[in-house]
Amino acid sequence: MSGIQLLQDILIIILAGYMTIDQNGLVIMSWFPVIVGTIAGIIMGDLTTALTIAGTFQLMMLGVAALGGASAPNYGLATIIGVFIATRTGTGIKSAIAVGLPVGLLAIQLEVVARIIANFLAHKMQSDNNNSQWKKMNLEAWLGPILFSLQTALPAILIVFFGPEVVTFILKVVPTWVTDGLTVAGGMLPVVGIGMLLHYMPVKKFLPYIIVGFVLAAYLNVGVLGIALIGFAGAYWYFFSESKKVSEPVTGATSDDEDDDYDE
Amino acid sequence: MRMMITMNDVDKYKVTKKDRRRVAVRYNFMACNLFNYESQMGPAVAWSMAPVLRKIYKDDDEYKAAVNNHFNYYNSTTVMSSMILGATLAMEERDGIQAKDAVQSLKTSLMGPLAGVGDTLVWVLWPTIMGSISGYMALQGNPLGAIVWLIANIAFWFLKLKLFDVGYTSGTKLITSLGNKLTIFTEAASIMGLSVVGGLIATVVKISAPVKFQFGKVTLNLQTGIFDKIMPALLPALLTFLIFKLLGNKKWTPTRVILLVIAISLVGTFLGIFKA
Repeated sequence: MSGIQLLQDILIIILAGYMTIDQNGLVIMSWFPVIVGTIAGIIMGDLTTALTIAGTFQLMMLGVAALGGASAPNYGLATIIGVFIATRTGTGIKSAIAVGLPVGLLAIQLEVVARIIANFLAHKMQSDNNNSQWKKMNLEAWLGPILFSLQTALPAILIVFFGPEVVTFILKVVPTWVTDGLTVAGGMLPVVGIGMLLHYMPVKKFLPYIIVGFVLAAYLNVGVLGIALIGFAGAYWYFFSESKKVSEPVTGATSDDEDDDYDE
Repeated sequence: MRMMITMNDVDKYKVTKKDRRRVAVRYNFMACNLFNYESQMGPAVAWSMAPVLRKIYKDDDEYKAAVNNHFNYYNSTTVMSSMILGATLAMEERDGIQAKDAVQSLKTSLMGPLAGVGDTLVWVLWPTIMGSISGYMALQGNPLGAIVWLIANIAFWFLKLKLFDVGYTSGTKLITSLGNKLTIFTEAASIMGLSVVGGLIATVVKISAPVKFQFGKVTLNLQTGIFDKIMPALLPALLTFLIFKLLGNKKWTPTRVILLVIAISLVGTFLGIFKA
């Protein structure tokens, strides 16, 4: 392997790893195929082929605006891998799609794993806060970007060093009920965060409003903005009727001890 | 009344422009890079606010409580988060730990609806427009579309930093006009927040059991045949109630609950009750 090839290998892996960090935060190049594809093309020294592949994947991605959807492949990684394989082997766009798409699907499985690991990291940070270990807490946060970069860097490493056979092999070896089960878990797990949140809010006092929001969404398919507007109407009414009670001099003395009845 | 005594603290910290910039930069880098299924963006919010909160809360216990407050479930579009976090910072600067519940309610009630607006603009409209233009250009061998898109995204990033200040100043205005009605405001915000949470239960928690039972010639789909007939989003509602109850039990730490949910998913998928 020549020196320039090794340099290309390393840069492609870095690009793939950084892409996820960027997508998760800065959103400057994100995993938009044309942008990462152009950069990959510059690295591989063949912009023309790269642009064809990037354009193809970009248009493929248009239909799937993945809003929290875990099933669409990672088209950004698919593009990077596609550009790498196509230019390195000289086999063109067909092999780019054949290898790129399965790798993109693998990255989505890894995302579920990364988010589950991130959960333990979050707990570590919070317990450090409770133990006054703030320096540690601040440093530990940097493990997050490292962890998430592996989501796309690992598949890139596999491809760059071992070739496309590895990807199909991995997806074949792991039983489908495991990959499907993780996807199912990914759909269910937000419930834990919502459950925690409810413990911090005055659920008992304002239970009817949860029901209102639930019914609007479940039965009437009202979007979150619509639910918030109705919630706002309730809040508006509550705020002004309660404020009136407080400012009236007669009841002014009694409002002192009525605020703690729901805190736990 | 209690509030009045602590409010005339002399050594109250004044948040500087540099502080605000620091939180905004930290948040707009970290955002989803600590994303987890339990608190989602929570840790990123806590981490980005931590340095400035330390300056506001000189008391260790108050600081701990304030940081813990930000570790709670939070998820919104980063653009919108800049404004929400700017506003919460203004509240904490003014009222200190007294603002804790108000901060929680404000974040909860705004994150959903603002994400609805933000996600549509940032994750649907913008990538679709830029993607289709630059995608076609790329197919013709022209990288210009991609380059313009990249530059525009850099400009957007600076706009996000700016929006933090917008949130901060309007947040301050909000609080000064509220005066001593902050408790009522908190409760009102909780009303809005809880309505949104009710909607989240039905939409964000995804669980369905499309398993089919065969009785001679009759097939019955558990999800569409029974659960959907009783109530839409019945399973998410039941699951939320169960998890809420479990979390109220000291023995069930969030980690255990998460492992339980993963175990249920794996077993359920293995048995064919759930499908991906």
